Amino acid sequence: MTAADAMAAPLELAPQRGRARRALAAFGRFVRTQPLGAAGAIVIILLIAGSVFAADLNTVDPKSSIREAKALDAPSGDHFFGTDRSRRDVWSRVLYGGRPTLIIGFGAVAVTMAAGVVLALAAGFLGGIVDVIISRLIEIIIAVPAILWLLMFTTAIDRSVQTLVFAVAFTFTPIAIRLFRGNVIQERSITYVEAARVIGASGPRIMFRHILPNLAPLVIVAASITIPAAMLSEAGLTFLGLGLEPGTPSWAQDLGPSNRPYFRLAWWMLVFPGAALALAVLAFNFFGDSVRDVLDPRLRGSGLI
Amino acid sequence: MWAYFIRRLLLVPVTLFIITVIVFIFMRAVPGDAADVRCGAAGNFDQQCFDVVREELGLNENKFGQYLKWIGDVILRGDFGYSLSQRAHINEEMGKRMWNTVQVGLLSMLFTLAIGIPVGAISAVRAGRLSDYVLRFLAVMGLSVPNFWIATMVIIFPAVWWGVRIAPDWVGWEEPLTHLQILAVAAAVISLAGGGTFARIVRSSMLEVLRSDQVRTARAKGLREFAVVARHVFRPSMIPLFTLVGLQFSLLLGGSVIIESIFNIPGIGLWVLQAVGERDFMIIQAVVVVFAGWFLLITLLIDIAYAWVDPRIRY
Repeated sequence: MTAADAMAAPLELAPQRGRARRALAAFGRFVRTQPLGAAGAIVIILLIAGSVFAADLNTVDPKSSIREAKALDAPSGDHFFGTDRSRRDVWSRVLYGGRPTLIIGFGAVAVTMAAGVVLALAAGFLGGIVDVIISRLIEIIIAVPAILWLLMFTTAIDRSVQTLVFAVAFTFTPIAIRLFRGNVIQERSITYVEAARVIGASGPRIMFRHILPNLAPLVIVAASITIPAAMLSEAGLTFLGLGLEPGTPSWAQDLGPSNRPYFRLAWWMLVFPGAALALAVLAFNFFGDSVRDVLDPRLRGSGLI
Repeated sequence: MWAYFIRRLLLVPVTLFIITVIVFIFMRAVPGDAADVRCGAAGNFDQQCFDVVREELGLNENKFGQYLKWIGDVILRGDFGYSLSQRAHINEEMGKRMWNTVQVGLLSMLFTLAIGIPVGAISAVRAGRLSDYVLRFLAVMGLSVPNFWIATMVIIFPAVWWGVRIAPDWVGWEEPLTHLQILAVAAAVISLAGGGTFARIVRSSMLEVLRSDQVRTARAKGLREFAVVARHVFRPSMIPLFTLVGLQFSLLLGGSVIIESIFNIPGIGLWVLQAVGERDFMIIQAVVVVFAGWFLLITLLIDIAYAWVDPRIRY
């Protein structure tokens, strides 16, 4: 599809067509113009399906050893990805192991976006002392390396999924606020906001009915680009043995120091969990890039997100 | 404008001070302290052991008093005190370890630039062609694949297949070749992600310059395409890299914790990791102050540099 076609495409959508038809057309356009993003989306869906329906995909309990299996057994028809040193099925561990990583990736980004939007609206719209306080807080959080915040949260509180979601969100929120705040300030000075004010709309109404909807594309872009980063940040911490509780099936956990002595004997213990994690991050990155290209090409390579 | 920068410079100590308070509270909220770790490691679970060690380390004093003493030493003498587990002088130890981390960091920065700039430049010049797609794909691969996975595979597979030890122990400059080898391996693993990020930024920055009027003028006056790119596109499009290179030192710690723990490099990252395990919050506090201080100063310097280079920027 050429650039001219892309420009002309929205004109094809006559208003009498239904919402579903339009959504379908937009979806088709996404697949045609962003093949890598579409491939990423398919992989993401497969990974989510794999970890949600893990119980039905020829798996056993990922935490308990199988009595009749050998330890460190190579991949076979019985154990697609082999077994580990405790005679646990690696295929099951890989499927179940996606759950914490995906939950933390999505959860942390949801919290980041919610907190980022609220605080950016407060800073950009209320201005004054609120803006100053929020800017100070951003600087304080950004100045300390993220890994130190994460270590402090997990050692001082606990290593549950909720704590990790919060800790990862904590380190990403300042970046989101900075990004959204600039946009709020820009929107605030556009004529339509002035017009709304002239006809007597209240502050909160302008904030939520006029400025918030215009932030939506930026929030979607930021969210889809932050998910892989959040996943990698949690994975790194868990790999060090300071993230999720030991024993939880998780991709990063299975790559960690406790399994390292066995990788020489059993490549499948190293390759499959790592490939799953890499594939997930890669798919989210490709999808996120395409979303950004479609919704807001100006952000390309801005380095902000 | 200078008033703005002076105000920001004066805010640096204030921000740092608030950070120390937050970190101090955090570290005191951690369950277990250095005495628990030391007595536990010695297999001595008597209350007496804990009491003696706590007394020795000064952990029984009033918390507020401990903080005041610590911050006083830091501000007045630049002295971070002694670590709780080894009783080593933190300033001295930090100097040694910082040098190790910086060696890896500098080399990985070199590699990152050596990968990022050519890949990004070729990708931009050949935008929309097959080579552009391949390079962009590789760049995203580089920044997506977890570095701890790559590092583990780099250690394991050559050892299994050929019996080769890719990453030797950290020996220091007494054995220059071995030392260079471990530096190069660690830096190469780190620079995959950095190179991918830099390549993307170089590409978009160069594309922007390629579309500008001055480039059209250069082409119109009949310059060869190579001369246009080398003289008129390349230099202006490198400006965003200054920020990145400067900030990379702050990001260094995040990567170094993982890389140093895998390759067993005695740098700041490994130190922090051990300090967390031993509840040695004196070390954590010192590292936080140094890295946060550096970050605040470097971002200020970058902003000044931008204002100096580009007079249109007003604060």
